[in-house]
Amino acid sequence: MWELDAKPVLLWSDALVFMLVIVLCTFFYRLRNDPQTRERWSQVFSSRLGMVTFTIIMVYVGIALLDSLHFRRALASPAGVETTEVFYDNKVTSVLDLMLDGMGDRYERTYSAPLALKSFEKSDMKDEHGNLVRDYEWLEHAGRHLASPADKWPDLLRLTGIALAWGLAAAALVVGLQWVLLRGSAYPWYASWLVQAVVICFMVWLVSVSHYYHVLGTDQGGTDVAYQSLKGIRTGVLLGTLSTLVMLPIAVTLGVMAGYFKGWVDDVVQYLYTTLSSIPGILLIAASVLLFQVYIDLNPDYFAVGMEKADARFIALCFILGLTSWSSLCRLIRAETLKISQLGYVQAAHAFGVSHRRILGRHILPNVVHIILITFVLDFSSLVLAEAVLSYIGVGIDPSMGSWGNMINDARTELSLEPAVWWTLAGAFFFMFMLVLAANLFSDLVRDAFDPRSGSGRSGA
Amino acid sequence: MLAYIIRRLLYAIPILVGVNLLTFTLFFVVNSPDDMAASQLGDKYVTPAAIENWKRKNGYDKPLFLNDSATGLATLTDTIFFTKSVRLFAFDFGRSESGRDITTDVSTRMWPSLAVALPSFALGIWVNICVALMVVMFRGTSLDRWAVFVFVALMSISYLFYIIGGQYLVAKQWMLVPISGFDPDFKPWKFLILPVLVSVLSGIGSGARWYRTLFLEEAGQDYVRTARAKGASELRILFRHILPNALIPILTGVVVLIPSLFMGSLLIESFFGIPGLGSYMLDAIRSQDFAIVRSMVFIGSILYIFGLILTDISYTWADPRVRLS
Amino acid sequence: MSAAGDIRMQVRDLRVELAETGEQILKGVSLELRAGQIFALVGESGSGKSVTSLATMRLLPEALQITAGAVLVDGQDLFELPEASMQSVRGRRVAMIFQNAMSALNPVQTVGEQVAETLRLHTPLRGDALRRRVVQLFSEVGIPDPDSRFSFYPHQLSGGQQQRIMIAMALACEPDILIADEPTTALDVTIQEQVLNLIRELTRSRQLAVLLITHDMGVVRHTADEVGVMYRGEIIEREGVEEFFHNPKQDYSRRLIDALPDLTRFQSVAVEEPLLQLEDVKVYFPIRRGVLQRVVDHTRAVDGVSLSIGRGETYALVGESGSGKSTLGRAILNLEESSGGRIRFKGEDIGALSRRAMLPYRKLIQVIFQNPFSSMNPRLTVGEIIAEGMVSLGMGLSAGQREERIGQLLDRVQLRREYRNRYPHEFSGGQLQRIAIARALAVEPELIICDEPTSALDVSIRAEVLGLLQELQREFGVSYLFITHDLSIVPSLAHHVGVMQAGKLVEQGSAEQILTAPRHPYTRALLKSVPRLDRA
Repeated sequence: MWELDAKPVLLWSDALVFMLVIVLCTFFYRLRNDPQTRERWSQVFSSRLGMVTFTIIMVYVGIALLDSLHFRRALASPAGVETTEVFYDNKVTSVLDLMLDGMGDRYERTYSAPLALKSFEKSDMKDEHGNLVRDYEWLEHAGRHLASPADKWPDLLRLTGIALAWGLAAAALVVGLQWVLLRGSAYPWYASWLVQAVVICFMVWLVSVSHYYHVLGTDQGGTDVAYQSLKGIRTGVLLGTLSTLVMLPIAVTLGVMAGYFKGWVDDVVQYLYTTLSSIPGILLIAASVLLFQVYIDLNPDYFAVGMEKADARFIALCFILGLTSWSSLCRLIRAETLKISQLGYVQAAHAFGVSHRRILGRHILPNVVHIILITFVLDFSSLVLAEAVLSYIGVGIDPSMGSWGNMINDARTELSLEPAVWWTLAGAFFFMFMLVLAANLFSDLVRDAFDPRSGSGRSGA
Repeated sequence: MLAYIIRRLLYAIPILVGVNLLTFTLFFVVNSPDDMAASQLGDKYVTPAAIENWKRKNGYDKPLFLNDSATGLATLTDTIFFTKSVRLFAFDFGRSESGRDITTDVSTRMWPSLAVALPSFALGIWVNICVALMVVMFRGTSLDRWAVFVFVALMSISYLFYIIGGQYLVAKQWMLVPISGFDPDFKPWKFLILPVLVSVLSGIGSGARWYRTLFLEEAGQDYVRTARAKGASELRILFRHILPNALIPILTGVVVLIPSLFMGSLLIESFFGIPGLGSYMLDAIRSQDFAIVRSMVFIGSILYIFGLILTDISYTWADPRVRLS
Repeated sequence: MSAAGDIRMQVRDLRVELAETGEQILKGVSLELRAGQIFALVGESGSGKSVTSLATMRLLPEALQITAGAVLVDGQDLFELPEASMQSVRGRRVAMIFQNAMSALNPVQTVGEQVAETLRLHTPLRGDALRRRVVQLFSEVGIPDPDSRFSFYPHQLSGGQQQRIMIAMALACEPDILIADEPTTALDVTIQEQVLNLIRELTRSRQLAVLLITHDMGVVRHTADEVGVMYRGEIIEREGVEEFFHNPKQDYSRRLIDALPDLTRFQSVAVEEPLLQLEDVKVYFPIRRGVLQRVVDHTRAVDGVSLSIGRGETYALVGESGSGKSTLGRAILNLEESSGGRIRFKGEDIGALSRRAMLPYRKLIQVIFQNPFSSMNPRLTVGEIIAEGMVSLGMGLSAGQREERIGQLLDRVQLRREYRNRYPHEFSGGQLQRIAIARALAVEPELIICDEPTSALDVSIRAEVLGLLQELQREFGVSYLFITHDLSIVPSLAHHVGVMQAGKLVEQGSAEQILTAPRHPYTRALLKSVPRLDRA
């Protein structure tokens, strides 16, 4: 067992994301009695697709949260030195790293194909007689336990069998517990349980096989690709949620004010968002990120460890994405507020002399929440996709921080190698595609349930 | 109508002023010219003298807004704000940090951009409408549901993978077209096929899905029931009644993009080595050439505002109900 | 052409279900349409009358399913035809007109082209001959200047003309059978009368067999030969029109007929001290034009209205849509800024008061809106909705007293006290309107502005709500400004009546005087189109 000699590290992004979780939880807790919200959510979750996609998203979010619990390990005191002072590792580790059980620490020298035993490229080395030969090098962390290379596939089969047994046992425990609690429920929980079982089995398999092989190979720098892909989850999920979190207050405040007070307030808000949206978004983002990077470069002493520097850039990116993208939501909310202001219940509130603040808080805001929600879910996937593009352009995540965009960016020319190195791209593609697809499908369901306009416009008697 | 257009053009002025102020604040107030010089020169060469030298060379050695040392009108004109921002209004973009004339660069580079963007745009809309129409014909069947799923799946693939995949399959494996490059004199279409194909394909998911919803929205309208009661066939209803009505939001939704086609596409141009404005911007961002970025922001805003005006005009043209006033 | 009275279409035991739940929408509807006669199918919303009409033409939305029955036209069962042959029946043999002509016409096609399409589909007419036929049809249905109207778009025509286009479209191929689904509901009463007369004439001259679907007993009285009353998916009574109105067999039919106005009994006019006085009130909206958006003119929504409402009195403000009557109501509530004149409440001028200074008067002047579904915040409980005014206007009540008062109010409007914890979407339109009344009463007002409070309700429920309003007036002595387009509810309700047209009050007087001896030609026109029994 590992000793808990560790110093917790709270990065700014960690703090923000846990704050977001708390905010969301209280938000939904307070809405629990609202009849419309309940009805609509139950519409989303009564479909199997809703259950499956929600579970997948939750798995991603869970991994992202585990990866947001950071600490620095205590270093063992050098032998012979008696000191009470504890030194901490300069490298920041997360709970996810612990659970992956050293998956990220098994470096090779350079490329290796998935499940390979030898390196992908030839390199110079000495044979047992000390002669210089050029051959494929044996990997340091793959298949070392095998008696002969021919045993690889039987060994893999054996490992898979054991992993599946453990995985199924764990899945049975997790699902069984939920079954006891939820068996009377009308929702199709079994769809969710199936996904949970598959995910648990896959993770158990991945972690246990990774002890002996590189499941998705290694990249140019010799890092395990599967590990990198998993580390990309936190970046993707946090970027998708935090940017929206930054954008929401601006968009909602301005949109509601413009739609409610009309007149000059409306003119000013409209001017603001027309101006902002007329600037090519990518240039604005790029310029802002570059300017922030200049600031980081010129003030290096503000950041204790390298990770904090990367984190500062990450937060800045979230803020910049949020600050540059509020115009479309603002427009929607303004239009909806204009509509609601004309409705009988707002007029009645005026007739009752209810104050502006109370009308906004009680009558207008609760009735535009559905737009906020739809936007939150819809924007999530597009932000995850945007991260990859921004990283390619060079204004995305700091290269030292794992992200799918950086993986793609590093690997974009590798397909033109002969033979092609496809696994880095494949890893990033798979993990990104699953998240974005699940989010897109889920957002469709949410929109169908919450947007009265998208409901089937059937005419009847 | 004319009065309306004139008013819209006048309204564009405060917006452009706003754009200008915003970019100016970003570039010169958040980060001082000193900071920029330091990062341009690189850590090794940062000395006060070098910074002054760099600033003088690039015209940043003036006060931001007010020049107290000058007299008369020059107190206002001999400033960074005037020379770098106000002169954009006269389409005087000046020189890039590397000393090239931006106006010349822009005017030569916009044509390759247009050569890729225009066919991608037109073909994309046409393909999306066709695909969406086909799906709508089968509305309510499982084919429709699967098509929507495929659209969403296509939407969920990063644009980068379309480009990388397209280059790998079409150019490298099948060797049908060159991987990248552009030669305006020698068979330019050979270089254009793949970029156009990639951009059309990557747009199908979101485009066809959006058009499908527009078609379905129209299909639920009362006039469709009237047409049915007249005895019109489903196909006739689709093409004669639903399509013309749905084209209004489609048309007006894409018109705003037309002027921006000149700007090209950042990713397509850089991957395929097309010397257009897209790759120009990307290079500027990567080399942190803020003079170019500033000019491109200004051009982009003008094109967008122009697109907005075009949208309004296209409304009156497409929809008999709309009269501008 | 066959002789009058021949059966042209026979609907037998038509049954329709909701595809998803199997809930029965039509439970065996049978009827016959005869040449030269109009069969009126009457019923309230949700009774299944529109479903019947759509089902006969196989135009039901996918959510509804025909499970049994037959529709015979010339001995051919329409339900057995393949879809392709059905297309040659629609528009050619059986034609339809729909309720809202504005949305039922294709907005981006010229009206001439839309009528021509029917002819193109079913006749070999093309080119000039086709155009001439369309123009001829236009003049037949009474469209002025038919030749130039050919290239008009629907939005360029008035509501009445749009409905005439629909009729021209339906009659283009000289069908035997016409199904008209609420053809006049969206029209103002004066136009309504003209369109109904046109349908009646055409029925006689062309020997059409007409199925007229309507919720309006007045329309039935004027136009139909035979009546079928629909209630919850069944025809509960079928009778010739004279017999039906003089001797209805079902209670429900009697209720429908009783909702028609009785022009013999009026509220007696009591002279009282004036509560609200309007002097030359104006509400103008600026029209801006040109590059600089200068105000070039004003829309005169309310143009110099003077009237006076006494304590405990009901003043009915009557007018068609767009006449400015609702705007006037909003101006009195200070929700709209008045551009001129004086609004005196108990002698005080409240027209120009600020938001804050208006507060004390908010308690005294309350409002009930037209659409009960949008006049309550869907996220608040009924209790919270009723309490809103009491809280914000500071009635000086403790929380407990407030709860008690909510209970009393719910009792008073004949709703259960437990309803206070429910949300608006659980209630019907009539119940919601009772809640709206309770909400208004909560602050003990002296004047309630009722803006078309019953126009969204079915006739049978309308009577109950109106009855409740009158009871409350006797009990609390509250005054009503009753804004309505429907003259038929006026006699039993109002003491005074004012008739508004284009922002001006063209005539006012006691209810009896306006309804029996109108002076202004517009009032006469309005009155003429009011359906009533005594004309029979």
